[in-house]
Amino acid sequence: MKKLLIAVSLVAVLLALSVGSALTQQARTGAWVDEIVFTEVVDRAQAVDMLNANQLDLYAFGISEPEIFKKIKESPALGYETSYGSYNELTFNPVGPTFPGTGAFNPFHFPRIREAMNWLIDRNYIVNEIMGGLGVPRWFAITPAFPDYARYADIARALELQYGYDKEKAKAVITEEMTNAGAVLQDGKWYYGGQPVTIIFLIRVEDERRQMGDYIATLLEDIGFTVDRQYKTAREASACWIRSDPATGCFHIYTGGWVTTLIDRDQGGNFDFFYTPRGLPYPLWAAYTPDPEFDAVAERLARNDYKTMDERRELFAQALELSMKDSVRVWLANRVSITPRRANVAVGADLAGGVYGSWIWGFTIRFTDQPAGGTMRIAMPSILPEPWNPLGGTNWVYDMMIMRGMSETMCQPSPFTGLFLPQRVEKAEVYVKEGLPVFKSLDWVDLKFEPEIKVPAGAWIDWDVKAQKFITVGQKYPEGLTANAKVVVHYAPELYQMKWHDGVNLSLADIVLPLILTFDRANPDSAIYDEVVVPDFEQFQQYYKGFRIVQKDPLITEYYTDLTYLDAETLAYAGVLEPYYSYGPGSMHALALGILAEANQELTFTSDKADKLGKEWMNYIAGPSLPILEKYLDQAIADKYIPYANTLGEFITPDQAVAQYQALKAWYQAKGHFFVSQGPSYLEEVRPVEKIVVLKQNTAFIDPSEGNRIKWLEFGKPKIAAVEVTGPGEVKIGGVADFLINVTFEDQPYPLAEIDFAKYLVIDATGKLALVGPAEPVRDGLLVVSLSSADTAKLVPGPNRLEVVVVSKVVSIPGFGSLGFVTTP
Amino acid sequence: MAESTTALPGKQRLSVAKRSVALETLGRLVKYVSTRGIALFLAAVIGVYLTILIANMGGYVDQIKIGEIREQVGASVLANPALQGRPASEIKKYVEEQVELEIKRLGLDKPFILRSFKYLTAALSLSLGRSEHLTSDSGSRQVRLILLERLPATLLLWGLADLFLFFASVLFALYLSRRYGSFLDRTVIALAPTSAAPPWFYGIILILIFASVLRILPYGGIVDAPPPRTTLGYTLSVFKHLALPVLAVILASIFITIYNWRTFFLIFSSEDYVEMAKAKGLPSGAIERRYILRPTLPTIITSFALMLIAMWMGGIITETIFVWPGLGRLLYEAIGSFDTPVIVASVVLYAYLLAITVLLLDIIYAIIDPRVRVGGEGKLRL
Repeated sequence: MKKLLIAVSLVAVLLALSVGSALTQQARTGAWVDEIVFTEVVDRAQAVDMLNANQLDLYAFGISEPEIFKKIKESPALGYETSYGSYNELTFNPVGPTFPGTGAFNPFHFPRIREAMNWLIDRNYIVNEIMGGLGVPRWFAITPAFPDYARYADIARALELQYGYDKEKAKAVITEEMTNAGAVLQDGKWYYGGQPVTIIFLIRVEDERRQMGDYIATLLEDIGFTVDRQYKTAREASACWIRSDPATGCFHIYTGGWVTTLIDRDQGGNFDFFYTPRGLPYPLWAAYTPDPEFDAVAERLARNDYKTMDERRELFAQALELSMKDSVRVWLANRVSITPRRANVAVGADLAGGVYGSWIWGFTIRFTDQPAGGTMRIAMPSILPEPWNPLGGTNWVYDMMIMRGMSETMCQPSPFTGLFLPQRVEKAEVYVKEGLPVFKSLDWVDLKFEPEIKVPAGAWIDWDVKAQKFITVGQKYPEGLTANAKVVVHYAPELYQMKWHDGVNLSLADIVLPLILTFDRANPDSAIYDEVVVPDFEQFQQYYKGFRIVQKDPLITEYYTDLTYLDAETLAYAGVLEPYYSYGPGSMHALALGILAEANQELTFTSDKADKLGKEWMNYIAGPSLPILEKYLDQAIADKYIPYANTLGEFITPDQAVAQYQALKAWYQAKGHFFVSQGPSYLEEVRPVEKIVVLKQNTAFIDPSEGNRIKWLEFGKPKIAAVEVTGPGEVKIGGVADFLINVTFEDQPYPLAEIDFAKYLVIDATGKLALVGPAEPVRDGLLVVSLSSADTAKLVPGPNRLEVVVVSKVVSIPGFGSLGFVTTP
Repeated sequence: MAESTTALPGKQRLSVAKRSVALETLGRLVKYVSTRGIALFLAAVIGVYLTILIANMGGYVDQIKIGEIREQVGASVLANPALQGRPASEIKKYVEEQVELEIKRLGLDKPFILRSFKYLTAALSLSLGRSEHLTSDSGSRQVRLILLERLPATLLLWGLADLFLFFASVLFALYLSRRYGSFLDRTVIALAPTSAAPPWFYGIILILIFASVLRILPYGGIVDAPPPRTTLGYTLSVFKHLALPVLAVILASIFITIYNWRTFFLIFSSEDYVEMAKAKGLPSGAIERRYILRPTLPTIITSFALMLIAMWMGGIITETIFVWPGLGRLLYEAIGSFDTPVIVASVVLYAYLLAITVLLLDIIYAIIDPRVRVGGEGKLRL
């Protein structure tokens, strides 16, 4: 018994010790890795070689060279992330039929010839042979990997089939149009006015557009055109295609390319941008003369002039079809970019921007074969190309990636759908004027429609530079003011516990300062006036209708605006005020130094102002700016300086400000720079000449590395549905047929709850779209397409094709599957 | 005393004559230096202005820059969600304002010919001015700082490589010149054509061997990442990163340089006075020093001086493949972005250094070479 008691006591003591130990062990906070080291590697092949040699863990740049991709795929030591942000097209010069400048004939003046180019070009050849599989065929101004394509995938698919490769059809249409225009085909060559019809083709040489250009030039030569292939770099070509008047005839076709580093959830404006004179105020755009119906549709989509999503769908259906008939641009392919990494590295990559464009990479990057910790070695083609400051510093993707890894915003976009997700926001109520097209997808936003939205008299509408106080709606508009939308933002309760990297707690002054600076810097009476910000400010002022702090702790604010977005989540985030500026994070106490330096004309936030005054462009991390900023830090401490004290003095006392400056001084003495943010890592070391940047885990970060970060973990890999169609190979006309649709992700059934919709299309033996309908859900991973006897009665005998489109809620890339079957009488 | 009284006027006369000759010589020297100085300065001015014209393609680059600005602003409109849904008139106004601001910032609103003289005066006065696109690594737009930041890395790489190359090749060539026809001599002759390949070619091969396959030396950069904390560690790391680029530079030139010097020394080795020295039984070291090296000194010094200033330009492609943060890579970036002030500054500094070096060499020649005279044929040599 005694022994038993002793044993029990021992066990109890051991248990107590282990529990105590567990309690005293603090959960890891901040980044998953201890250290992130950035270096510069310009050559992509070399970077892959270094990854293979375990000298790097990640190369944060998109690779599109098939040979390098092959190496990555073949190496068991490597993995990769995929993104779809850039795309190529043919830009046509529509002036004509002859160029006033040269008198030369321009076949691409005729929309039918441009339209026929869609049949002439084999996009699959471009994607598979030229791009080595690193591409997706593209027919439209909307991106195949973005939400609008997913929404209208069935419409798009039908048009893609209609405009599939058909060289004979292209030749027939072009011959007909050329003949009608007065051109003559002699010995296989087109002549106009006795001269060969010569196409001046500006072919870009920096990437695969060179091969695309050669391929298309050969196709044009095959059908009788004489092609003057002019190989040019971006710079050389820009002097002609975008600088010159297209009437001079310096080009007929240009191999254009565009890039986007974020998922654009509303591409409705793309038709207006790419096909109408409203797109850009440049000579080429001025030459566009779209069909009036297309013009009207494009403008309505650009202005969000619709009330329901059904109406928008109808407009999109028209725009997609009419854009193919216009074809002043012929879209070729969406480039697939590969971000290579070691196989044991996991990171949340963005479908548009890859890893360097991801907002969550800093939260998610980790080694999968070890517990939290370790050093992550990342290389990029360039490091620190320009100065860092939040109001007018660098916006290079390389710098922004590093900054984002050390920062967080109140909401962050999903890397797979572009929808904003809350980070330091509990919820938002969005009130929109009835009739405006705003729709919600996620639960953190509550969307309501109201007949009228009045702006309260106490809301801040303008800024008095001299008094350094906001002007209220009541003062400026005594008769009252209304807005199209109101956003009530409920910030997270832990908001004020968040710390800047120098240990200073976030304050309301940090949150209000961005609004002050928006007004102040655009006002000529301000000491930090900068004419560069005026155009942006004018845009802002047109739609801004007021801001109000409803409650300080927990913080609740109201934002009024006339500018609405398709997604309520985007509108909600537009209403969030936060200390994250266009060029990075900025605390009040760090920005105060810059404000003083610019007011005294020793440094400037923007490059333009620096050039104008002949002063240094402000840099918070290195160079001649640092001693100047340090001088103003000392001055701020001595003067107990609060910027815009008449307003911010309400949120921070002079002593609190001094404490913040002291913390920043200690930070500067320890780290040698003034960059402080709030994210999971902080900037430990900057070596600008050596091109090395070192980040360290921020142990003072408010969230645990694991646990609470689960919400970002789901973004490990995009859940692009794999679709497989099975069913009868032969269907009797007038009979019924069921086709099973297996939808999986990594061989696991795709949850029905995550499928937005699925549709089928049947292309009959004549090549026409005969049937369209929904695929019905059966269970997770399984859908069914049931063709009734009435459906099959519409088909003609011969081979048919069943195409199925599955659109997911969690990723904006739809899954496609198809099956051939024969119909018999 | 009488002797002294008769001697003094003579000495005075001699002294006066000597002074007069010295003054005359000084006058000739000043005149010569001034004439040469002006001629060299004019050559530098012409060279720099030609650089400005070429770098701007006679003003055509303005069209390219405006095209680029429009393209960038256009792309930014497409990527800016804040502009979505806004009326076309607003977007048009916004774009025009943005384009105009950038055109103004770059001075493209003024004719190129006016700006070309502004570039020229800024360059010649060495004010160097501000870059148009590039910033220094630490973020400054001052061309002076941009160049100064890159200078140490270039001097380190090219200084080390060129100094080694110079002294090693001269000494080895001197050695070979005394062993004409030996196996070593024939080996060097056989290897001389290997210098047809530039340093970057050897760089790629060396990277493949030592970094990619053997993995014992780094691919590029100037120091390990993260950089070692101690000075010694940092220095050792820099030397480790220097190994491949220095080796590439040396490999690309060593054999042809030895061959050239060896041939040069051979010509002097067969002079009569060298044969006489040999006949006298002087040791070979003394012959090399007194009878071969001394008369070839002006050429050696010229070569050395030109090598020193050539370091200033760095090596565009070599520095690029080794990701070496030097002036060569900077010039590559400046040319790529049409950054005229940086291009012109690099060229003007090189032009000045070259002009000064040539002028100094002219003077040094006159001092060390008995055969060089400055004007006044038949009179005193300088």
